Amino acid sequence: MEEWRFIDFGLVDIRDMMAMDEAILKGDGGNTFFFWTPKKSIILGFFQKADVELDLTRCRDYTITRRISGGGIAFSDERCRQINYGVVGTIDNELFPLDIIESYKQICGVLIDTLVHYGLNAAFRPINDIVVDNKKISGNAQTRWEGKLLQNGTLLLDFDIEEMLRISNIPKEKFLDKKIASIREGLTWLDRELGEQRDMEEVKDIIKKKFEERFHIRLKTAALTREERDLTNNLLPKYYSHEWVYR
Amino acid sequence: MDISETKQGIYKSKGGLIRSFVSIEDGMIKEITISGDFFMFPEEAIFKILGQLKGTPANREEIQKNIEAIYQKEGIQSPGTAPSDFTESIMKALEV
Repeated sequence: MEEWRFIDFGLVDIRDMMAMDEAILKGDGGNTFFFWTPKKSIILGFFQKADVELDLTRCRDYTITRRISGGGIAFSDERCRQINYGVVGTIDNELFPLDIIESYKQICGVLIDTLVHYGLNAAFRPINDIVVDNKKISGNAQTRWEGKLLQNGTLLLDFDIEEMLRISNIPKEKFLDKKIASIREGLTWLDRELGEQRDMEEVKDIIKKKFEERFHIRLKTAALTREERDLTNNLLPKYYSHEWVYR
Repeated sequence: MDISETKQGIYKSKGGLIRSFVSIEDGMIKEITISGDFFMFPEEAIFKILGQLKGTPANREEIQKNIEAIYQKEGIQSPGTAPSDFTESIMKALEV
């Protein structure tokens, strides 16, 4: 059976993680599945402006960076109960479809299989969300580069929704309470759905197993290659720079 | 650009929210920037779109035509978001 690389980066600074993320896409490590959990942070989508999307006066104790893929803010509170994943794969039109929505669906299927394993009514909601009973539990973002794709996503185990609303630049006087209520009601997380806290390592093991089943491969733990480490070092200044984050 | 001195248009396409910030001079787009949670491949093409729109007459036909031209030239894919959606967002800024 074909072997793909697996890496668990653990609890990370997202600036370091986003540099490694890009390095894995552009490096020589081959198809890879990886996990990380972000420290208290905010990751902007490629097309988002920090001062438009965030109330920056309230974000001073957050690490903020930007990723190379589009989509919305990835917010991580200090509870650090989120499993983030990355997939890098060669677009072969079988395991990784050329069609963008189909490729989202294929990769998101891993998390859906995991949630179904826990008895939840999980489904893919195009373009890039996974929902449980129509409430978003996972956001995903994909980019492509030279015949390969990189998809990142998060599975919320716990989530401080009030804190996210507090730092978001939602013009309170303009937006009706209805709008805020719909954000509150539109999100959920695993602890809430299951009514208990699951061990994060246990959930990661299930995801890993579901990944192997869906892609018919075996995941084998290995480190970044020399080239990826060099690429990461070259990319780090970008993810730490004011120009990249606040452009 | 300083967005506090521009007009803002918000439009939600199927692929995400598009916020446009536009300033006009003599009927032409002088400055423009876009913020949103949509997707576009390749991502850098957004800068070509914004560059192309600078100096474009501030009317719907010209804006959409120019965005479509860059879509063609750069082979842009943007699931759930079309040139007409960007145009709509920009037009909303112009109507403010």
